[in-house]
Amino acid sequence: MFGWTGTVLRVNLSDGTIKKEAINTKDASSYIGARGLATKIMMNEVDPKVDPLSPENKLIFMTGPLTGTFAPTSGRYVVVSKAPLTGTIGSSNSGGHFGPELKFAGYDGIIFEGKSEKPVYLWIHDDLVELRSAEHLWGKNVFETTDEILKETADDARVACIGPAGEKMVLFATVMNDKHRAAGRSGMGTVMGSKNLKAVAVKGSKSVEVARTDDFLAACRDARKKLKEHPVTGNGLPTYGTEILINVVNQVGALPTRNWRDGGVYEYAEDISGETLREKYLVRNKACFGCPIGCGRVTRVPEGRFKGFGEGPEYEPGWAYGASCGVRDLAAICKANFICNELGLDPITMGTTIACAMELYEKGIISREIAGMDLRFGNADAIVELTRLTGMREGFGERLAMGSYRMAESFGHPELSMSVKKQEMPAYDGRGAQGMGLEYATSNRGGCHVRGYMTSPEILGIPEKLDPLVTTDKAAWLKTFQDLTAVVDSAGICLFTTFAIGLPEISSMLRDAVGFDASNEEILKAGERIWNLERLFNIAAGFTSEDDTLPPRLLKEPMPSGPAKGKVVELEKMLPEYYSVRGWNEEGIPTEEKLAELSI
Amino acid sequence: MKVKFFGNIRDITRIKEIQIKGAANVGQLLRELCDEYGKAFRDKVFRGNEITGEVIILVNGRNVYFTGGIDTALNKDDEVSIFPIVAGG
Amino acid sequence: MSKILTISPDKCIGCRSCELICSFGKMQAFNPKSSRVSVLAFEDMAVSVPIMCMQCEDPSCMKVCPVSAITRTIDGTVLIDDDRCIGCKMCVSACPLGNISFSTAEGKVVKCDLCGGEPKCVEYCPSGAIQYKEATPSNLSRKKLIAERFKELFGEVNQ
Repeated sequence: MFGWTGTVLRVNLSDGTIKKEAINTKDASSYIGARGLATKIMMNEVDPKVDPLSPENKLIFMTGPLTGTFAPTSGRYVVVSKAPLTGTIGSSNSGGHFGPELKFAGYDGIIFEGKSEKPVYLWIHDDLVELRSAEHLWGKNVFETTDEILKETADDARVACIGPAGEKMVLFATVMNDKHRAAGRSGMGTVMGSKNLKAVAVKGSKSVEVARTDDFLAACRDARKKLKEHPVTGNGLPTYGTEILINVVNQVGALPTRNWRDGGVYEYAEDISGETLREKYLVRNKACFGCPIGCGRVTRVPEGRFKGFGEGPEYEPGWAYGASCGVRDLAAICKANFICNELGLDPITMGTTIACAMELYEKGIISREIAGMDLRFGNADAIVELTRLTGMREGFGERLAMGSYRMAESFGHPELSMSVKKQEMPAYDGRGAQGMGLEYATSNRGGCHVRGYMTSPEILGIPEKLDPLVTTDKAAWLKTFQDLTAVVDSAGICLFTTFAIGLPEISSMLRDAVGFDASNEEILKAGERIWNLERLFNIAAGFTSEDDTLPPRLLKEPMPSGPAKGKVVELEKMLPEYYSVRGWNEEGIPTEEKLAELSI
Repeated sequence: MKVKFFGNIRDITRIKEIQIKGAANVGQLLRELCDEYGKAFRDKVFRGNEITGEVIILVNGRNVYFTGGIDTALNKDDEVSIFPIVAGG
Repeated sequence: MSKILTISPDKCIGCRSCELICSFGKMQAFNPKSSRVSVLAFEDMAVSVPIMCMQCEDPSCMKVCPVSAITRTIDGTVLIDDDRCIGCKMCVSACPLGNISFSTAEGKVVKCDLCGGEPKCVEYCPSGAIQYKEATPSNLSRKKLIAERFKELFGEVNQ
């Protein structure tokens, strides 16, 4: 096969059997790969009402047809399962080198079923695939686990694993690969922990082939050239990383401050910005596999109580621990982010859950005895200590391990959780960017920014400028962005390519890699198919249009200051329009006609 | 008024912010800044008389694209932010 | 003077585009393990180094080859004659830098041949970490310096 290895591993952790199965070529072509294909497998094989942490849930690692090829940013794979934090379909993708290595070993993906009696890890070396005991690794952090497995297998193997947070089933645990890269959101590491699966290690020496070699190379060359020449992917991201966004989002008044209580202007934004990170702690930039951008940050805090060495922070953790917690000490933010990587925690949910606790503390709802520390906004030591406690599920960390919604609910104030479908929203205030508000409300995995990144047109002006403060046309734009993002995530490349290239370039690479002749429109239609399938999973899991909402703060509390002063998210205006452009009924359910049109 | 520079614009201006007096609109302000910071700055912000796609210019947090472009009027208490086009996630 | 490959580890971002394009140029498929260039990552130092055959002046591989399948051309490229090679892998052991390897996918011993004078890794390196330049006394000494550093890093002893 071209673009594919043609083989998927099915690993039953309950009885230890491992099967090699041929990939379903029809589904692979209808759902592109990675996110789309894994969702299709979930839909075929798992009851959407399943308890996410039960053996009946499945955990799927899947690559796309461009993973491991010369397509720029071809380092990506996805982890899909039913998510424990939200109860929705969970899917989270990651870069680094693990995904391509799986393909070089001869496998497009792995379906994990059941639950192992004792901790295990899966070792894949080309045709050899075996489960090994991980009892000696249980309790070890991500870095220790990775180093130990490399010693036991091969020093050039690639490892994806969980840390203590996943083992202890913190609801927002990550799957970490290549030490610093995270399948970060949706709690995929939590599901992995529930199955007693500590890690997957892989080494491969086989080839990934493409159908039309000359055309494929030409398409990749074109895409790479555009990435190199674009100011964002050729200069901004390599120089400053994603943290470059802090200042611009703050200046437009959409940087959520102190659990979104104080609006979208953070007075210390400069202190936590990409510019400051570069000046103070950046060692160098680093790329994932096949990526000409290289936005990754290798950072070092050389001294002091937050001393450390690692990668990040990205924009989101920089904000979640910074503006969101009212912290201005970038060293503390770096440290908290390093600990997230070590323990396997999603820093967006972690930082914003701490922020939520801080607001509850300042309101007098959480006492000093319960918190075990001074939890006022701005406490830099608290973000570091609480991250560690949560990852280890100790002390007050036990309460935070549930995520902000369940934590705030346990104190009688779920409305102070800044989450959608129980997953915390990231770093753009919808009151200052209406399309982002709609995006959060409708994302299939709960509060999330990378399922239809409306920030791009609304704040950054890419591919064109949309006024962030108005609702006009946002529904239609969002639909296109969501469908296109589903294509990108399923192809096996990084969303960041879309700042410089679009549907024509990506479709061209897909066509020449796999060897089919679908038009650009048909490929975008596959993205729409994926979006609708995810929606159907959520509906079958029990979600309704009532869940397509936002925290009351965004709907009722006008933005207190800044350029978006006085604004709320006008969701009641945009949501019916969104359902309509999606071809869904008023309850947000895809109509028969829509499903027939999409051949679902 | 206060003018703030960000990202690699700072590599040209070598300063994070300055105070400017008297510019009546964005076009006038940018031309003054071009005189101050030279060709590198001009190439970044202007293509002919239009603002390039390589910068984001905000007046009090609003992109001037929505407020009249280079004709956007300026008052003495305004804050102008000049960014290179950036993105992330 | 002939051209040589020079590498600048300070520019390498570790993306392995060179490994991908090298294997594609040689076998029309993507296979980093069969690439003639390998990126070595030294995580603790945050350094990645692309390495490939240094086209030695006095190649150990050529000296140990029992069937004289390895030759050095006038312009300084060290080449393997696949027809003569018997696959004994003596050269793999002899190379002090580990820059000849046995490709399982192709079933033969492989090394960098500079793509006949237009190295693909140079063409596609996104950060300019690999360059192909006229050999001048200064970049020759730089090349030597880097080779020395590799040997230190790998703890290997020169011939």
